[in-house]
Amino acid sequence: MKKKMWKRVAALAAASIMTLSLAGCGSGSDAGTSGDAGNAENTESAAGAENVENPAEDTEVVQADGGEKIILKFSFDQGVGEPTQKIVDKFNASQDKIQVETVILPQDANTVHDDFVNKLASGDTSVDIMGLDVVYVAEFASAGWLADLSGYLGSDITDQMLAGTVEAATYDGKLVAAPWFTNSSVMFYRQDVLEELNEEVPTTWEGWMALADKAVGVNGIEYGADFQAAQSEALVTNWVEYVWSNGGDILDENGMPVINSEQNVEATEIMKKLVDEYAPEGVTTYTETESEQVFKEGKCLFIRDWSGFWTSGQGDDSKVTGKIAATKLPVGPSGTESHTCLGGLDLVVNNNIDDTQKEAAGEFIKFMTSEETQKEMTLISSQPPVIKAVYSDAEILEAIPFYSDFFGIIEGGKSRPKSPRYAKVSDAIQRNIHQAMTGEMEVKAALDALQAEVEELSK
Amino acid sequence: MGKKKNSSIMKTEARDAWIMMAPAIIVLSVVAVYPIIRTVWLSLHEMVLTDPGSGYPFIGIKNYIAIFKDKRALESIAFTLKFTVTTVVFELLIGFTAALIMNKPFKGKGVVRAAILIPWAIPTSVSAMMWKFIYNDQYGLFNDILLRFGIIDKYKAWLSTADGSFMALVITDVWKTAPYMALLILAGLQMIPEELYEAAEIDGASVFQKFFYVTLPTVKTTVLVALLFRTLDAFRVFDLISVMTGGANGTESVSVYTYNHLMKFLDFGYGSAMAMMIFVVVFIISLIYMRVLGDQITDR
Repeated sequence: MKKKMWKRVAALAAASIMTLSLAGCGSGSDAGTSGDAGNAENTESAAGAENVENPAEDTEVVQADGGEKIILKFSFDQGVGEPTQKIVDKFNASQDKIQVETVILPQDANTVHDDFVNKLASGDTSVDIMGLDVVYVAEFASAGWLADLSGYLGSDITDQMLAGTVEAATYDGKLVAAPWFTNSSVMFYRQDVLEELNEEVPTTWEGWMALADKAVGVNGIEYGADFQAAQSEALVTNWVEYVWSNGGDILDENGMPVINSEQNVEATEIMKKLVDEYAPEGVTTYTETESEQVFKEGKCLFIRDWSGFWTSGQGDDSKVTGKIAATKLPVGPSGTESHTCLGGLDLVVNNNIDDTQKEAAGEFIKFMTSEETQKEMTLISSQPPVIKAVYSDAEILEAIPFYSDFFGIIEGGKSRPKSPRYAKVSDAIQRNIHQAMTGEMEVKAALDALQAEVEELSK
Repeated sequence: MGKKKNSSIMKTEARDAWIMMAPAIIVLSVVAVYPIIRTVWLSLHEMVLTDPGSGYPFIGIKNYIAIFKDKRALESIAFTLKFTVTTVVFELLIGFTAALIMNKPFKGKGVVRAAILIPWAIPTSVSAMMWKFIYNDQYGLFNDILLRFGIIDKYKAWLSTADGSFMALVITDVWKTAPYMALLILAGLQMIPEELYEAAEIDGASVFQKFFYVTLPTVKTTVLVALLFRTLDAFRVFDLISVMTGGANGTESVSVYTYNHLMKFLDFGYGSAMAMMIFVVVFIISLIYMRVLGDQITDR
């Protein structure tokens, strides 16, 4: 009897082990949660995308003089897959010492993050260069996973870049990432509605609310506002903009949280008012995709969205093509300047690879961040470049006229708090601000709770 | 003498058995036992990957103690239990009813049996995306149907409130897994010999009596097995929640919370402790079921 009992427990243990291992597998199927961390083109569904290795990988690469080429593996998400592949092909053709092979990941910020973490945490060297979302740079750098790039990108190069992007790529005084392309949000509004009402473009939140009161009912407008307030990274990028544009901040210059300040409460209340009175009822469940859908249906006066929406929002499936214009985000009552939240991808180099590989990676990064490549990448991908001069390039302005105004917007952009524990800070913001938006918590109470949580994290 | 010979044969047989089982045992230890031991080991350390300066020290059971002080962890456990009980009860009721219907001979039985499995066959993350759209506040089918029946007077954002989200998650999970329950129970029903019903009929049993005295006792074991599977599955719910609400509005399940610690916060120590806790709870649930089930099996 005893033996039987023991057997039963053993069988049970085996069964549980199997279920537990299944639990492990489950975490991989996270596709679809748009954990978008500020990458405008990342908003479409990630379903279906698999790790696609470049078929060229298996072909033997031999240098002209018989010596082996240095092979670099470059991994990034599918959102910029095609244009990047073209640029990489061009690099491979331009010289004969280095061969860059691409490893394309699904188009989902979370999946990409997890893939890199799995590789880097185990000291894997199967990937040399990665396209990393800017918010994860501090986290990866503090774990010691990123090579110092100061030796390859001197100040002569970084001075040509947008200051905010370089700042975001620096950790502990070292340049640990190379800004590749950036992104910022813009206020897209319905030009036709403003013309119909014969109104000027407002520059403050009060102005937009007053306009929204009049606009509902005009040209099919049902909602005065549209943005992203689902409990996700998108909510963080939205909320920090209300805070910054109202003269507030998340962390002070010493890195200490200043979240429950008066300006921040005021800023959050504006956002809450928009959720309650102006935005579609489901706005607290919207990430980029859902919010864009409603705007493209022609139901909203404006949408706060990433710059790439200028193109993707005026496709064949959109009812507002040719009817939209873009402007700066509005400022709050206590603010003076409008600040957008910067996103985008940085190029980072795996710290575990040997020096020859790093040297080669440095070469490749120099190529990727050169003005010429940046211009070409912008033309074929509509991703905002990091090299300032590109914004005033005649050819660029002809292709994307919107960039002349956009440069001013992106120059005033700020980066989300830089912390090795950013994931936790972001998670705290998401939970508390979402509760404030859904009305489960008072705004002030939510900010107090958030302040306490971030204080705990800053210790 | 003969006895001794017999036992030596048994010894050889036992040895052969071990040799034949060896590949399976090795594979199991590599893919299942090792990761578990490793998880236990990690859970006894302070190991936050973004803080390599800490040297990942051994801290004993501090991570486990922290779980019981972590309000969010306890809330996630409470939510998961609530979710598990609710979904499993509904799945059992609907699954059982569907199985009883499918067990009756009717035209197109084969087609119905195959069709009922479709929700189960769709990958969870895909059906979660689909249902997320069904609950959408602008275009959602759910709103449309309720509006047509006059149950609501305007479209609602179901996933924006705590109650709405819970209801939406339960409906989706039941939709997806009740068919699985139905098929398992159907298999049990088909094993009941027709003679039992005939005998009951001769004794003058009513429909209800037949159900309670013939059907129920005979399929009890099958139902318990189905319940065990579903309970364990429901307790580990991840993809559904991750896609539909991302854990918002108080719908964070233990698996989602654990995933956040492991993959988002890179806190392998605490995350491993949470994973072990899921393991222990799952083990206890299994133990309870096995006790009931075990008596059933051994009593035969």
